[in-house]
Amino acid sequence: MTRYVAGRVIGAVPLVIGIATIVFFAVSLAPGEPGILYIAPGLTQEVIEQMRANFGLDEPVYVRYVKWLGAMLTGDFGYSFSHSRPVLDVLLEFLPNTLLLSGCALLVAFVFGTVIGTLQAVRQYSLRDSAASVVLLFFYSMPSFWLALMLVLMFSLFARNVWDWPFWLPASGMTSTDHDFLSFGGQVWDRVVHLILPVVSLALVLTAGIARYMRASMLEVIRQDYIRTARAKGLSERVVVFKHAMRNSMIPIITLLGLQIPVLFGGTVFIETIFAWPGMGRAIVDAIGTRDYPLIMGGSFFFATIVVLANLVADVLYAVVDPRIRYD
Amino acid sequence: MKKTALSAMAAVLAACGGSERAVSNDPFCQAVLPMVDAYLERVRSENPTPDDDRYGGTIVVGGYGEISDGMNAAVSGDNTATQHQNFVNLMTLIDYDERFEPRPYLAESWEMSPDSLEITFHIRRDVFWHDGQQTDAHDVAFTWDVVTDPLTAFPNAAFWDHWVHGPEGVEVVDDFTVRLHLTRIHADFLDPWRQTAILPEHLLGDVPRDSLRQHPFGTQCPVGNGPFVFNEHRTNERWVFDANPAFPASLGGRPFVDRYIYRIVPDQTTLLTELLTENVDVYISVIPDHAQSVLDDPALELKRFMQRQYIFVGWNSRRPQLADARVRRALTMGTDRESIVRSVVRGYGTVAHTGVPPFHWAFDPNAVEPLPYDPEAARALLDEAGWRDRDGDGVRESADGTRLSFVIKYNTNQTRQQVAEIMQSQLAQIGVEAQPQVVEYTTLMSQIQTPSLRDFDAIVLGWSADFKLDDTDLFHSERIDRPYAFSGTRNPEMDRLLEAISNTADREQAKELWTEYQAVLVAEQPYTFVYFPDRLDGVNRRVRNVVMDTRGDWVNVKDWYLDPASR
Repeated sequence: MTRYVAGRVIGAVPLVIGIATIVFFAVSLAPGEPGILYIAPGLTQEVIEQMRANFGLDEPVYVRYVKWLGAMLTGDFGYSFSHSRPVLDVLLEFLPNTLLLSGCALLVAFVFGTVIGTLQAVRQYSLRDSAASVVLLFFYSMPSFWLALMLVLMFSLFARNVWDWPFWLPASGMTSTDHDFLSFGGQVWDRVVHLILPVVSLALVLTAGIARYMRASMLEVIRQDYIRTARAKGLSERVVVFKHAMRNSMIPIITLLGLQIPVLFGGTVFIETIFAWPGMGRAIVDAIGTRDYPLIMGGSFFFATIVVLANLVADVLYAVVDPRIRYD
Repeated sequence: MKKTALSAMAAVLAACGGSERAVSNDPFCQAVLPMVDAYLERVRSENPTPDDDRYGGTIVVGGYGEISDGMNAAVSGDNTATQHQNFVNLMTLIDYDERFEPRPYLAESWEMSPDSLEITFHIRRDVFWHDGQQTDAHDVAFTWDVVTDPLTAFPNAAFWDHWVHGPEGVEVVDDFTVRLHLTRIHADFLDPWRQTAILPEHLLGDVPRDSLRQHPFGTQCPVGNGPFVFNEHRTNERWVFDANPAFPASLGGRPFVDRYIYRIVPDQTTLLTELLTENVDVYISVIPDHAQSVLDDPALELKRFMQRQYIFVGWNSRRPQLADARVRRALTMGTDRESIVRSVVRGYGTVAHTGVPPFHWAFDPNAVEPLPYDPEAARALLDEAGWRDRDGDGVRESADGTRLSFVIKYNTNQTRQQVAEIMQSQLAQIGVEAQPQVVEYTTLMSQIQTPSLRDFDAIVLGWSADFKLDDTDLFHSERIDRPYAFSGTRNPEMDRLLEAISNTADREQAKELWTEYQAVLVAEQPYTFVYFPDRLDGVNRRVRNVVMDTRGDWVNVKDWYLDPASR
C-alpha cells in the first residue's frame, strides 16, 4: 500500500508540471496583457512598455517559462499583478475559504445523496421512489447559479421583506461586517448561517447525482445472496439495509466522489461570485480577465494538485472500504 | 465513533469562530501597523468624540469590484480606487466644490507667478500621516518625483503634459511650501492635483520605482493622512477603515461614523438583495434594471448624477465602407439614440453629440447643430455618397460592388450588446448591414489598439469624459499610429483646434475653440457619440447628508452620518 501511494505521488509530479506548462503557454498566447486594464486615452505607449517591464513581461515567453518553472520548484510563485502581493499569500488566503465551502458541500451531498438513494432503492417503483426521482432530476438539470439566485431571493429577500419570516439568511459574504464584535458563540453561529445558502446551492446538484448512483448501486447489492441470507437470519430490515447493504453499495460512490472534485471546483466559481465568497475559483476567473498571469498559474497549479490528490485519496479509500481490492 | 465525530465538529466550529483582524505578515506591515494603532489610540484620547448624536456607527458600502492597486496612488487608475485614495484614506492638494472649482484641501493656498509658469502651494501644518509623521512639502515633492518618473509607469501620463517632469519641475521652498513648474498653461492645469493623492515619502522614499507596484503599502497596509485610517483588508471580501479623530477641524474634523466598510459583492442581484435586506447601506452603481426596485422601497433613496463617461460607436475610417464622412453621418442619423437611452439604460442617460459632457464648463448646448434621427435624410445622404442597393438584396453597394456591411464589435457587457443590436436593426432600415460580434474585453482592446492590427470595422466602447478634456490622443492625425487613434481620423482643421485648445488657458477663449472644434467633429463623425450614462447609487435613508455628484460617489463620505435612531 505504502509503495503504491508513493508511486502514485511521484507519478503525480510530472502530471501537475505538465498541466501547469500547458496553462502557462495557453495564457501567454491569449491576446491582451495586464496593462490593457489601465487603457484610457492618456496612457502612452512608453508607459505601457514600462508597465510590461515592471510586470516582468518584456522577455520572450520561453525565457519567462524557464524562470517561472525554476522559481515555482523552489516554492516562489511570483507576485500577483492585480493584488500587488505574493501569489502564495493570495492563494493561502483564499484556499481555506474554498475548501470550507466545497468540503461542507461535499459532506452534505454525500450524506443526503447516499441516504436518499438508499431509501429510493429499498422501495423501488414506489411513489416515494418516483417522487424523489422527479425532484432529484429537477435539481440535477438546474444550473447551480440559477438555483443559487432563487435561494437568495427566497430565503433572504422574500423571507425578510415579503413573507416576514422570523428568520432569514444572509445573502452573501463569509461573515457579517460586525463579526469582530460578536461573542465567540455568536461568531460561530454567524459563520454557520453564512455557509447555509452557498453550501446548499453547491450541494443540491451534487446530491442529486450521488443519489442516482447510490440508488443504482443499492439495487444491485440488495438482490445479492448474502442480503437474502441476512434477512433469513431474521435481522431487522433496518440492519439489513443500513449495515449490510449500504456499506457495499457505497464502493462506487467513493470513486464518484474523487471524480466529482473537479466538477465541484468548477461549481465554486459561480457560487463564490454570487455569494461574494472570497475563494480561489472566483479569484482565478478574475485573474484570467485581468491577465494576472502569476495568479492564474499559481491557482491552476493548486487546483491541479488538489484534483490529482483527491483522485489518489479516492483510490486509496476504495481499498479501505473494499477489502477485496489490494494495491500491491 | 460518535464522540470523535462530535469533537471533530467542535474543532471545526472553533476554527470558524474567533477570527482575528487580518494582518499581513509582510515585514513592512508588521513594522508599520503597530505604529498606526498606537497613533490612533493616542489621537483618540487627545480628541474625544464631540458630544453630538450624529457621531458613531458603521456604514457599509457595497461595490462590485476590488479597490484595484488599493491606496497606491502612483500606479492605480481605477475609479473606485481613486475615490478611496482621495476621499477616504489619503488627501489631494486640492479638491473641487459643487461647481467643480478648485478649493484648498491639503494645500491651504497657492499662488501663480506673473508669467503663469510657476505655482507655489502652501501645505497645511496640521495634517499627519496615520503613523504620526507630519505631512509636509517633501511628501509633495516626492509624489511629484514618483508620478513623473518613467520607471513608475504612472498610468495617466497625460496628466502631466503641461508640467516640467522630474526633479527639475519641483523645488521645496521650505518644509511647508513647494513650487512646481509648468511648460505652458492649460484651462484645467490644476486638475491632476485633484486626481492624484499625495504619498508618504518617509515610508516609500526608498522603494525602487519599478517595483513600487508590488509594495505592500497598496493593498496590505496603507498609511494615509486622510479622514479615515486603514484597519484591515480581506482580499475580495472587504476593506475596513476607522475614523481619524485628528483630521483637521478646519476641514470638518473627524468623520461622523466610527467605521467605514467597503464590501466587495461581485454579483449585481446579490448586491441589490443586500441593499434591500439592509445588510449594506449603499449599493454603488445600481444597474438601470434595478433602479425601480430601489425606488419602490421607502427605506431607500436612488441617487442619480451624470458620470464622467460617454458611450460611443467608433468607426474605422480605414475601411472602404466607412471612409466617407457622409456615410458616417448617415449612420448616426439612421440611429435613434433617444430610443437607445430609453430602452438600454431605461432613460438614465443623456444623448451625446460630442465628447464634451453637459456638466463641463466647455459645454454649450447651442455649440453644435446635432445630427437628428432622420432615416429619410440618412438614405438621401447614402445615395448622394454613391451607396445604392444595386442588386435588390436590401443592402447598399458602391459602384465597384463593395457592400455597405460591417461588423460591430463589443465586449461581454449587456448594455453595449444592446446598443450594437439596436443599431443592427435600425441601420437595416436604411440599407446598411451591421453584424454585432462579441469579443472578450482584453482581446478586443488589443485588436483595436494595436496600430498594426486595427482589426475592427466598428466598436461599441466607453471613454471617460473627465474634467480635463483632451481629444488629442483620439483624433489628432499625429497620433494616428498610436493606440487610441483607432478611428484613423485625419482632419487638419481638427488638428489645429486640438492644439489651440491645449495651449489656451482662458476658459472663455477655450470654450469658443471647443465650440469650433465640436462643429468639425460632428461633420467628421469619427464616432457616433451615443450617450452620457447616469450613475445610479442606492442609499439607505438611515444614512444622512449623502452628497453624490459628478465628482464621485464618495465625495463627502466623511460627512455622512447615521440616523441616531437606526444605530
